[in-house]
Amino acid sequence: MVGYVCKYTPVEIIEAFGEKPVRIESGCKSYERAEALLHTNTCSFVKGVLENIIENNIEEVILTSCCDSIKRLYDVLKDRVKFIYILDLPRKKDTFAVDVFYKEIIKFIDAYKAFKKKGFTVENFLKILEDKSSFKKTQKSSESIAILGARLKDDVVEKIKNSCSVNIINFTCTGEDRIFNIESEDNLLKGYAASLLNLTPCMRMAEDRSKFFYKDFKGIIYNTIKFCDYYSYEYAEMKSQLNIPFLKIETDYTDSNSGQILTRIDAFFEATDIKKMEQKKAKKGYFAGIDSGSTSTNVVIIDENKNIISYSIIPTGPKALESAFKAFEIALNNAGIKEKDITSIVATGYGRVSIPFAEKMVTEITCHGKGAFFIDNRVRTVIDIGGQDSKVIRLDESGNVIDFVMNDKCSAGTGRFLEVMSRTLGISIHEMAKVHAEVKENITITSMCTVFAESEVISLIAQNKDQKDIIHALNKSVASKAVSLVDRIGRKGKYMMTGGVAKNQGVVTAIESKLGEKLVIPAEPQIIGALGAALIAFEGTNG
Amino acid sequence: MDVVRFYSNIIKRNMDKPEKINKLINFGLATAYYYVSIFKDKRGPNSLHYLTKYCIKSIKDSLENPQNSAWVNIFSPCEFLIALDIKPLFIEAYSSFMSGFFIEDYLIDTAESRGISNTLCSYHKTFIGANELKILKKPEFMLTTSSICDANVPTFRYLSKKQNVPLYIIDVPYKYSKEAVAYVKNQLLEMVEKLEEVFKRKLDLDKLREVVKIENKTRTLINKYLNYLKEKTLLIPMTFEMYMLFASHIFIGSKEILKFYEMLLDDIKNAPPRSGKSIFFLHLLPIFEKNFQDYFNFSNEFHITGSDLNFDYLEEIDEKDPFRGIAAKLILNTFNGEMERKVTRIRELIEKIKPDGIIQFCHLGCKQSIGGTFIIKELATKMGIPFLYLDGDCVDKRNNQMGQNRTRLEAFLEML
Repeated sequence: MVGYVCKYTPVEIIEAFGEKPVRIESGCKSYERAEALLHTNTCSFVKGVLENIIENNIEEVILTSCCDSIKRLYDVLKDRVKFIYILDLPRKKDTFAVDVFYKEIIKFIDAYKAFKKKGFTVENFLKILEDKSSFKKTQKSSESIAILGARLKDDVVEKIKNSCSVNIINFTCTGEDRIFNIESEDNLLKGYAASLLNLTPCMRMAEDRSKFFYKDFKGIIYNTIKFCDYYSYEYAEMKSQLNIPFLKIETDYTDSNSGQILTRIDAFFEATDIKKMEQKKAKKGYFAGIDSGSTSTNVVIIDENKNIISYSIIPTGPKALESAFKAFEIALNNAGIKEKDITSIVATGYGRVSIPFAEKMVTEITCHGKGAFFIDNRVRTVIDIGGQDSKVIRLDESGNVIDFVMNDKCSAGTGRFLEVMSRTLGISIHEMAKVHAEVKENITITSMCTVFAESEVISLIAQNKDQKDIIHALNKSVASKAVSLVDRIGRKGKYMMTGGVAKNQGVVTAIESKLGEKLVIPAEPQIIGALGAALIAFEGTNG
Repeated sequence: MDVVRFYSNIIKRNMDKPEKINKLINFGLATAYYYVSIFKDKRGPNSLHYLTKYCIKSIKDSLENPQNSAWVNIFSPCEFLIALDIKPLFIEAYSSFMSGFFIEDYLIDTAESRGISNTLCSYHKTFIGANELKILKKPEFMLTTSSICDANVPTFRYLSKKQNVPLYIIDVPYKYSKEAVAYVKNQLLEMVEKLEEVFKRKLDLDKLREVVKIENKTRTLINKYLNYLKEKTLLIPMTFEMYMLFASHIFIGSKEILKFYEMLLDDIKNAPPRSGKSIFFLHLLPIFEKNFQDYFNFSNEFHITGSDLNFDYLEEIDEKDPFRGIAAKLILNTFNGEMERKVTRIRELIEKIKPDGIIQFCHLGCKQSIGGTFIIKELATKMGIPFLYLDGDCVDKRNNQMGQNRTRLEAFLEML
């Protein structure tokens, strides 16, 4: 077994040696062993690969000089595995580049021959190439969703495929078909080297990729990887030029990220009408929405005239289902009705998949958009800052979600951030929410990261800074993060703020000052997601 | 009131007026130039004064004359630009100056708001931000190498498309071989053709040979300077080592840089014998980090005795075939290729300079450098030299944890 990562690896040569090439995946639970050998700020993909090589005791590895992080992976692995080779991979594909790569492949064959003490036959090699060349797919691009960007794990691709009914084409390097065009058997290896350099270029290659991807797709899902910066340029470029549904996800290869990714993908399909719809007629009776969030579980019950007849907000306990039962029961009691009176229930929030008595699951993005527009149909941008995440949702004139952004896997700028800071300051979260008319010193918390900001706050405390000024600085910090999210999809009023942090007047004022516009704050901003879910239950349309 | 802060506040208030910002930045650079020309910092050597003026002027000149300038990265082969009399603006230097003007945060936030990765090197993000806000006038040409830093190719491709300015990418192989040299040489020939076409002038091969000859002479001086570092101490600020990057990279081959190294050699010859503790830096120096400024700027107690980035190529270039010679130089840079090559150079430098300690400041976003931190730590341990690595940012001050860094730095210096 020979481990490799890059699609430009000459895997057919490994096969011709009679060995099995295995693409090393990067999924792992932690980077404990990798971070003992590589700096923590190295790309998470490379750390995951290193973790897997150690865990699975992979003894033979072939890498390419594809990026700085892989080069350092080679340096670290050099004396730790039985066989390792790094192929010099050119970024261009002219004849000089082919020469460089061809000679590299020859050197690799020699090195592997010496290590294995066996050769490979040309007949085998040719047969392998012919088998792959005959494999061609036909796909209609206009009916497809394209996955672009950094390499995406197979399980995430599967999740995407399972979330919709349209064709999904994976253009990341985990989805490439290997087709070879070898014209002359006399110079077989040179032709092979040229064919490899002619694969669809990844972002590290010199060629401009735009000609490959500006096609007529139904939508694009764009993946980036934490600490891998290559693809953000293309994302930035495409985002401003494309006029089709476009979703950015950021994966980091640890398993813990999948819930958030799934929410984004589902919301993307909901917003773009790509998810299968079930049309049902509106029903009479009562309708409930359950928002099972990471911090609080909220329930809203509406009647057949869309009047809110009761709601409940309780902290989410260690088990999402128990909290959902409890919140639902409180809302039923408040309304003075029984469970049997409820016609339909829709669940939303991170815990939505754990609520068996809900008929449907809809992402909180769609629900927040729905709820916000119902409260005030002038709203075009919803800023929702919850306990663990924050999102900005763009609505059109009819209240449909047309774009959204979420914070990445980090609690900066969320309710969690404020909680941590209130503990650091030794005050209650309610005290944090007050607006203090007089600011003695306009302090700025520069760190966006919760952990770093905490150490900054500790320094401010050590400098005897006024507590009110520190609170003001923290509120400004949350506001700054929220407005930068708004800027990622462009400013457009009217703005509504939802989620628990909307109760913090300090943050609200700071956002208003940065946006230069007043925010609409609902009477109870925490229940907007649940309200949206109840409305969807009422309409019975979103699947 | 702090004059620089006052100036940066004016800039930040006018970010929506690119023309005005452009003028304000040019005004700031002109003021800085006249200030350093008139008020010489008497704490440092003559060469410091000369180099500071030269660096500010070079940035000022290229920004004021975009029609005769090219944007480049620090590893670009600027010998061709010098021979063609084209002013290079290297993006790392521009971003450093913007950080010096305290506006890097605004520029970085702008780049990130466009979708650029927040973990990208802040030198690149600052420059992209300035480009997005249109406060940079478009040059006639862009040039980058693929070597050492992954960000070079995509950043320049992005800038070139945004500005609609021709770009030449020099792909530098990771390994040295005759095929690799031929590959780069061919690209250099192509690049010169493009330069000639865009700037409408012909490269005089003799002039290029002359540039390479000066570069070789300069490198002889650099090697001589290295021999003095073991026994002599120059009192310098951290900025000096960073300004040296102008001399050891972009402008090497010019007469002015030859003069600078002549002055530097005089200064080190006449400097007092080494005293206090000497620190050798790896990669970059955090010139905007107050903890470091407090300990190292003009300090006799803890003085800076070099940075490996200024010694990443110490050999001669083939004067007869400058295209081939420069191609070989690009491939054989010690920061290119396997880490082993860099480690060997660091070992040579350490043996020659004999510092008391090594500090690597891990600039956030620099994967090629931080990825090898533990390998260098192992080298330092084997050589019995205390080694400290600290995380932070050389441009974006928000990424520096002052309290934590101070404790670690002080503990390390106490250890020495």
